[in-house]
Amino acid sequence: MTNDDYSSALTRRRFLRAVLAGSALVGAGALLNSCGAPSAGTSAPATANTTPLKIGLLVPSSDIYAVLGASITQGMQIAFAQVGNEAGGRPIEIISEDEGTKPDLALQKARKLVEQDQVALVAGVVSSGVANALRDYFHDGQKLLVLANAGANALARKAKSPYIFRASFSNWQSNWQMGTWAAANIGKRAMLSAPDYAAGKEMLSAFRNSFEAAGGEVVQVQLTPFPNIGDPAPFMAQIRDAAADFVYAFYSGAASVAFVKAYSDFGLAQTVPLAGVGFLVEQDVLPQLASAALNIRSALHWAAPLDNPENKAFTTAYQKLTNQQPNVFAVQGYDAARLIIEGVNAVQGDVSQQDILLKALGAATFASPRGPFKLDPNTNNPINPCYVREVRQAGSAYTNVVIAMLEAAGDPGDDSKDTPVA
Amino acid sequence: MTLDTFVIQLTNGLVFSLLLFLIAAGLSLIFGLMDVVNLSHGAFYLLGAYVGLSITRWTGSFWLALLFSPLLVAVIGLVVERFLLRQLYRRGHLDQVLCTFGVGLILADVMRSVWGSYVESVAIPAPLDGQIVIGGLPFPVYRLAVIVFGLLIALGLWLLIERTLVGAMIRAGVNDAQMASALGINIPRLFALVFAGGTALAALGGVAASPILNIYQGLDSEILILALVVVVIGGLGTLQGAFWASLIVGMADVFGKALLPEFSVFVTYAIMAGVLLVRPQGLFRREQTRLA
Repeated sequence: MTNDDYSSALTRRRFLRAVLAGSALVGAGALLNSCGAPSAGTSAPATANTTPLKIGLLVPSSDIYAVLGASITQGMQIAFAQVGNEAGGRPIEIISEDEGTKPDLALQKARKLVEQDQVALVAGVVSSGVANALRDYFHDGQKLLVLANAGANALARKAKSPYIFRASFSNWQSNWQMGTWAAANIGKRAMLSAPDYAAGKEMLSAFRNSFEAAGGEVVQVQLTPFPNIGDPAPFMAQIRDAAADFVYAFYSGAASVAFVKAYSDFGLAQTVPLAGVGFLVEQDVLPQLASAALNIRSALHWAAPLDNPENKAFTTAYQKLTNQQPNVFAVQGYDAARLIIEGVNAVQGDVSQQDILLKALGAATFASPRGPFKLDPNTNNPINPCYVREVRQAGSAYTNVVIAMLEAAGDPGDDSKDTPVA
Repeated sequence: MTLDTFVIQLTNGLVFSLLLFLIAAGLSLIFGLMDVVNLSHGAFYLLGAYVGLSITRWTGSFWLALLFSPLLVAVIGLVVERFLLRQLYRRGHLDQVLCTFGVGLILADVMRSVWGSYVESVAIPAPLDGQIVIGGLPFPVYRLAVIVFGLLIALGLWLLIERTLVGAMIRAGVNDAQMASALGINIPRLFALVFAGGTALAALGGVAASPILNIYQGLDSEILILALVVVVIGGLGTLQGAFWASLIVGMADVFGKALLPEFSVFVTYAIMAGVLLVRPQGLFRREQTRLA
């Protein structure tokens, strides 16, 4: 005990001495700044703030969402590199934490970024469960959060917050437009399939509501184990038995590969067309799905071969950085970073002017690889374009060719258009 | 459920059961002789799958992967046994569990840095890439081959243990390691052999299952849990137990998914909990005295 007391006294003394020396050298104002005091903004306006702008990056670097986390990070890197890693005259400093998959642990990481690292804002978040867990902390603490994936509808509805911006999508989007389109272009009798968790149900609900409104009929809803679907073979026999015109599915990552491959192995692809929300056949899994994904039609707010200058430049930059094709998650990371840059530029780096910053973020518009990027002021959620894509073979590779462009839509902002699917 | 569908699901159940047996046999074998609960089993499974993937890519032959991946992984198993586990036989289960769990974590990180985080899949090899109509549904031939392959491996292991000299040594070691040692059986070498064999079986399961379950980071812990459920139900360390428990768990998984999809995960664990309550030693464990 005495040893501990002694050493802590020593550190305290050493610390004080360092502080004194520091203040003698650089003056009290600079010292305040380096301690991260939020409003040192009383200094003369002639000397602009050139201290690094700290941005907390919270994405998964392990576990099942690691690919999504890496893609988002790389997308952000490209956007920041385009502006010389500087926003509002301040160099950008990224501080990363692993989001993992557990909401309570992710909240601890977010608190660490905000309270210990004193970041100006936190960006990232793949999992909706994590986003929901972070919501109150950021809303009540009036801290800024920019989402690059997490699609929970509630974050644009009853849990929306003036401090939370979403650069990605809500689960309702794309599915809702696709319901109408599928009823007219694929078939009238659909079987729905998704993992048994909140995002799966939200996606299927949105599809079902517009599909039924357009005269479609849902013959069966298949909810499969989440997060591990295991061997999907038993579900294939059910799909055969349902005898629907087509299957509409939401799966992502490993579950998508398992489901789509089994669908093809059991010969269902020839008899019951498979359609879905775009994550089912997105670029992160498409090379593995290969011929099993042929002819699958899916809706999403982006497609790899989109013919616009931003997408081409982004694709080139992404390939140069990673040697891989970009995916929708990278685009979302890129757009989240673009949004942040717009906001920080508007306050010339002084993020303590939060009112102006929030207003600038909400009003930001720019040309994104997905098309024009614009937030809905009512929800802080993007008004997304919706592309219907079809998997086709191009040489030895497979790609999501755009076959239709549906009306752009923001999230409706309340649950009135949604009745739960199951 | 129509008769057609029942026949399909029964076949699905057989496929998954024998896949489970391939996955769990090595874990059961290692525990039976060595009294070691090998929590790196899932990692060796995934390593086998990844090594198989690389061999398939280099050589273009899935069959070479099926042959050589288990051999390569067995060498790594030998190294782990010789330099880590061997130091721990005299200590309690907790030390061994911590050690093998740690080996699993290290292997997982190594696999992440070597093979990356993208999901990988393996195409079904010719000539098994066709379909046969069962119950009106085109059924992948490869899945039927998995049934045959699993049965052959089961039969081979049974013959090895019950009908060969090595098998007799293993059985002697299981019953009484000290006495077997006194009779001149080289127990350390036997342990090394069994551990290598167990890891080779894990890798074999990994390669054989990869066209069905695919390959991705995190699959190692899914597989470990499945294998543990199988050996707990069957009784730790009995091969017959592992076989029948695989059938129970495989059928429960398939019919659970087909009939009670919302509870399908629960069904398997409910069976395990029931077995633990009624027969904590497992359904097929022979009573035996153990000196370790």
